[in-house]
Amino acid sequence: MDTEKGISPRVNSARLANFVGQEIDGSRVTVEASDGGQVNVQALPNTDISETYIEVVGRVQDASTIQMHACINLGANLDMKLVNDTIELIHDPRFYSKIFS
Amino acid sequence: MSLKAYFLLPIYILSEFLFLALTLPSFECSRAVQTPDSGRLHTVESQFLHSRRVNMSQYESNFYGGGGGYLQGGSPFSQSGSPGGVRRTEISNSLRPFTIAQLNKATQAHTDAEWRVDDVEVGQVTVVAQVVTINRQATNCVYLIDDGTGQIEARHWVDSNEDEGSKWGGIQEQRYVRVTGGLKAFGKKRYINTIHIRDVKDPHEIYFHTLETITVSLIHERGPPNQNAQQKADGSGSSMNAYSAQAASGGLSDQFAHLPPLQRAILKFIIDQPPRDEGIHVALIAKAIGASPEDANKIGAALDKLMDEGHVYTTIDDSHFNVSL
Repeated sequence: MDTEKGISPRVNSARLANFVGQEIDGSRVTVEASDGGQVNVQALPNTDISETYIEVVGRVQDASTIQMHACINLGANLDMKLVNDTIELIHDPRFYSKIFS
Repeated sequence: MSLKAYFLLPIYILSEFLFLALTLPSFECSRAVQTPDSGRLHTVESQFLHSRRVNMSQYESNFYGGGGGYLQGGSPFSQSGSPGGVRRTEISNSLRPFTIAQLNKATQAHTDAEWRVDDVEVGQVTVVAQVVTINRQATNCVYLIDDGTGQIEARHWVDSNEDEGSKWGGIQEQRYVRVTGGLKAFGKKRYINTIHIRDVKDPHEIYFHTLETITVSLIHERGPPNQNAQQKADGSGSSMNAYSAQAASGGLSDQFAHLPPLQRAILKFIIDQPPRDEGIHVALIAKAIGASPEDANKIGAALDKLMDEGHVYTTIDDSHFNVSL
């Protein structure tokens, strides 16, 4: 459903499973997502992953793998707890359908 | 008025001829010279003309109907008070954070009406999103931006006098930007008429924006935090603007927290009264807050102090006070 709308919600590793086959927007997925879970990323050739924290936009293949479409470097300092709390709020039923989709 | 009468009379005589020849078009012609000031004049003239045209009963109602319309301000130009036809509220100057999904879901009653999100009027908008594509043209630049909830175009009209470097603000594809402007629609396509666009330097701003959007949405839904139970019962949260919301709520304790208790009590009392342009009379304040004559002096001194600091101002005379917010 979300794929039809062309949206790519931010997720952490735990929420990845809910978006199999859909576009998502994850954070620091190469090794560790914002909730500490492990995510495999199939990176595009020549991807510039130069900083500690990255955001990966891609297609969810299975509950632990993303096919990368784009990668955004987010620098060396990012509060992962804040990121994860924000992601959890985005998926809160009170807000997800009203504000984020 | 009398000058206008001299001008209008020949025009009217002229239109009288046209009226006989063309009837309806001449009526339109006489409407065109109508001004609100000359409304009464027209009525007098129309009675005069009417008396000469008693036998033309088929035009009577038309003519009188039109004349009555003038008196009631029925002209298409005077009704709305402005050529744009849309009354702008102070919300149109406010700035609110949104997700792109919210902007894409915003509704508009007609093409000139204000935008509404969850039935709350939208003024200026600000979004944080990633630049997908950049389309630079001679006079403007179109950025397609995506914040994960949807996509929208941000159109930025550029000043041709600026040099190349600062003109585009160093915006690059794939980077996060903050875009501020007004929501517009061209046909069915929505875009942000961008006043300001800049790179997001600190990635925390992306998450800050998400949280701020949730916060503001909740404030519109429930009213501001610290709101007391009685005001919640009013259910006025969603329709309040930023000013009245602040005035009606516990905003007092935050904004005036540094003031002495008596000054805060005065401010609270004024704010708690129904809002009136003329403010509150000093006697009412004294009655509500203090009983003895010494208290009255203290209240007077406290009001002076509040006035010196710009928290209150006098209105119709030196005895009426209102709070500056």
